[in-house]
Amino acid sequence: MSKTQNLSKKQNGVAFLFLSPWIVGFLVLTLGPMLGSLYLSFTDYDLFNAPTWAGLENYARLGDDPRYLASLKVTLYYVLFSVPLKLGFALFIALILNRGLRGLGFYRSVFYLPSLLGGSVAVALMWRQIFSYDGIINQFLWGWFGYDAPSWITNPDYALGTLVLLAAWQFGAPMVIFLAGLKQIPQDMYDAAAIDGARPVQQFFYVTVPLLTPIIFFNFVMQTIGAFQAFTPSYIISDGTGGPADSTLFYTLYLYEQAFTNFEMGYASAIAWVLVAIIGLATTVSFLSAKYWVHYGDEG
Amino acid sequence: MTASQSRRSFLKTGSAAIGGFAMTVVAGGALAQGKTKIRFSGFVESEEQLATTLKVLKAYEAKNPNVEIIPEFSSYRAFTDKLATEAAGGNAPDMFSVNVDLLAEYAARGVLTPLTKWIPDPLDVSNYQEGSVFSCTYDGEMYAMPNDAIATAIFFNPAKFEEVGVAVPDQFYTWEKLHETAVALGKEHGRGFWGIEDGGGNNLACDIFLRVGGKALFTPEHTIGFNGEDMAKWFQYWEDMRQAGGAPPADVQAQAGDNSASLGIVRGRSAMLVQTTDSFIGIGALMDGPLELMMLPNGFEGGEMKQHHYDYAGNSTGIWTKAENKDLCVDIIRFMHFDPEGVDLYYTGSGMIPASTAGLEKFGSTGTENEKKIVAYLRMLREEPAPSRRPGVGGLGGIFRRHNEAVAFGDMTPLEAGNSLTAEIDGKLKALKS
Repeated sequence: MSKTQNLSKKQNGVAFLFLSPWIVGFLVLTLGPMLGSLYLSFTDYDLFNAPTWAGLENYARLGDDPRYLASLKVTLYYVLFSVPLKLGFALFIALILNRGLRGLGFYRSVFYLPSLLGGSVAVALMWRQIFSYDGIINQFLWGWFGYDAPSWITNPDYALGTLVLLAAWQFGAPMVIFLAGLKQIPQDMYDAAAIDGARPVQQFFYVTVPLLTPIIFFNFVMQTIGAFQAFTPSYIISDGTGGPADSTLFYTLYLYEQAFTNFEMGYASAIAWVLVAIIGLATTVSFLSAKYWVHYGDEG
Repeated sequence: MTASQSRRSFLKTGSAAIGGFAMTVVAGGALAQGKTKIRFSGFVESEEQLATTLKVLKAYEAKNPNVEIIPEFSSYRAFTDKLATEAAGGNAPDMFSVNVDLLAEYAARGVLTPLTKWIPDPLDVSNYQEGSVFSCTYDGEMYAMPNDAIATAIFFNPAKFEEVGVAVPDQFYTWEKLHETAVALGKEHGRGFWGIEDGGGNNLACDIFLRVGGKALFTPEHTIGFNGEDMAKWFQYWEDMRQAGGAPPADVQAQAGDNSASLGIVRGRSAMLVQTTDSFIGIGALMDGPLELMMLPNGFEGGEMKQHHYDYAGNSTGIWTKAENKDLCVDIIRFMHFDPEGVDLYYTGSGMIPASTAGLEKFGSTGTENEKKIVAYLRMLREEPAPSRRPGVGGLGGIFRRHNEAVAFGDMTPLEAGNSLTAEIDGKLKALKS
C-alpha cells in the first residue's frame, strides 16, 4: 500500500471519527424510530400494550376517515397559499434590501426576527389579540367604518387564511437566502441590459429572475417541505384543537391527536408514513420540473 | 527527562485526577441515591393549587428525610399528552393525577394500580362522599384517591343582572327559563353582550340535560347512555340559544379557548358560564366584582322538577402499575389526605374542596368567602344527591366542542352532529373494552 493510500485511509478514519456523533445520532434518534414507526403503521398499538399485527388495516382506514381527509385538505390549502406568498414577500423585501441601503445588517436582522419568534407562544397570543373579535383590527373597523367584522382567528371561513398570513410574516429565512443570491448576480449583467435599453422591470424579469432560479428552487423545496410539516401555529392558536370546526386541523396536528389523545399510535404511524410519501412525491415533482425552469450558471 | 517519560507521567497524573474526580462523582451519586426518589406528576387548576401541592410535598420530605419527591405539575392538556408519552415509553411517573375519564382509560389499559390492598388501612375512604369514591372506581375497584369534590354549576355575575333589571332564576327552574333569561340579558345589554357562554360543547352540562330527560352520558356498566336523537336535542337547544342572541355566535365563543382570562364572563361580554366548581376560585379572582353560583336547570316546562346535580372527584391521585415503591406512594397520599398537618397544607388556599365530609365541613367554616360559596353549593346538592358522574372516555371535552362547533358554524345539522358524536363515543368505548 502506498504512502498516499495510507494517508488517505487515515484521513477517512479521522473524518468518520468526527462524523460519528452525527452518524450515531442519525441511526439511533432518526433512522431507528423511523423504521420503528414503519413497523407500527402495520399494527394495532395503543401505546401501553404490545402492538398486534394489523396488516394494511390502518392504511385502508384513511380513505374512510372524514377528519383525516379534512386535515389533508387543510394542509394542502396551507401549502398551496403560504409557500408562494411567503416566497413572494421574501423576494420583495430582499430586492429592497439589495438596493444598497445604509444599515443593511440592522434591517436584515429586523426582518429575520419574525422567523425566530414565529413559533413562540408570545407571538401566537399577540396574533390572537390582533385578529380576535375584539382585537385591534376589528376595533379599528368598527370605530372608523362601523363594520362589525368577524373574528378572523375563530371563524372557519378566515382562520386558515390568518394562519397563512402568519406563515408569510415569517419570511426571514428565505429572504436572507434570496439576498445572498441577489448579491451573486454580477453588476455587469444589469449594465449590459441597461445599455440594451432594458428598464428596471425588464431587468428584473430577464436578468434577476433567471439567474435567481436555483435559489428560488431551493427555497421553494425547503418551504414546501416545512409547510407540509407545520404544526405549531395551529396547535397554539387553536389551543391544540385544530378548530374552529376543524378549519385549522393541520395534518400533523391530527396525527398527534390520534397518537396521544386517542392512543392510536399504529394509525398515527400510518398517517405519518403517508405524509412522508406525499412530501417525497412533491419533492420529486419539483425536481423533475426544475430542468424546465431552473437555470444554473454552468449551463451552456 | 525524555519526552516519552514526560508524556507517561502526564498521563499517569491525568488518570489519577480523572479517577479521583470519578470517585467523587460516584460517592456523591451514592449519597444522593441514599434517598428514595418518587416522581409525582399531575395537573392543577390554578397557581394557588400548585403552591399548596408543592408545600405539602415539601412538608412530607421534611418529615421523611430519606424521600425525595420530584414534582412535575402542569396544565391539564400539557399533562395528559406528557403522561401518555411517558407511559408508552415505560417511564411514567410513580404517582399522577387523573380525572374520571382518564381514570377509565388508564385503568382499562393497565396503567393504574388498584388501591384495594390499601383500603381501609391506611386509606380509609368511609368518610368520603360516595360520588367522589365512585368516580375513582372502575370495574368495581378503586384506582385513585379523590383529591377534591367538584360539581357542575352556572357561575354568574350578579351585577350584569342588576344593571338591566333581569331576575336571577329561582333555585329550581327549567331549561326554557334559562333560554328566556339569557336572551333577555343579551337583548338588554345590547351589541357585544350575551346572557350565557355557549354551553353546547360542555359534556358535563349535557349530562345534566340528559338526566333531566331520564338518560345520562354513561351507564353504571360503562356503556353509552344516550342516542343520536338525545344529542340532537342538546345541540338544537344551544343552536336556538345562539340564534336568539342568548349565547354568542360561534366565532366569538371559539376565541374563549381554554384560557380563563379570555372567558366571556371575565371579559365582561356575558353574565353566565357553565363550569365546574374547581374553577370558581381562579375565575373569581379575575373578576372585578363578586361571582356567584347556581344550579343548572333541573327540569323541562310541564315536566317533573327534580335535583339532577351531583359532586364527584375532579382530580384524583393514582399510582403507576410499574412504580417500584407503591407503599411509599400510598404513604404520601395518606399524608396529604389524612394527616392533619398535610390536609391543612394541601387544601388551605388551594381552591380545592376536600372530598371527605369532614374536610367539607372544615372549609365551610374556615375557608375564604369564595370557598364557603362552593361548600354551600355542594352541601345543597348533597341534600338530595343524584347518582354520581360515571367514567366515560378520554378526550370527551374535545369531541363535544368539535360537534357543537360544527353545528354552530353550519357544517352539520343538530341531528347529524348528534349521530356523529354518538358513533364516535360508542366506538371509543368499544375499542377500550376490546
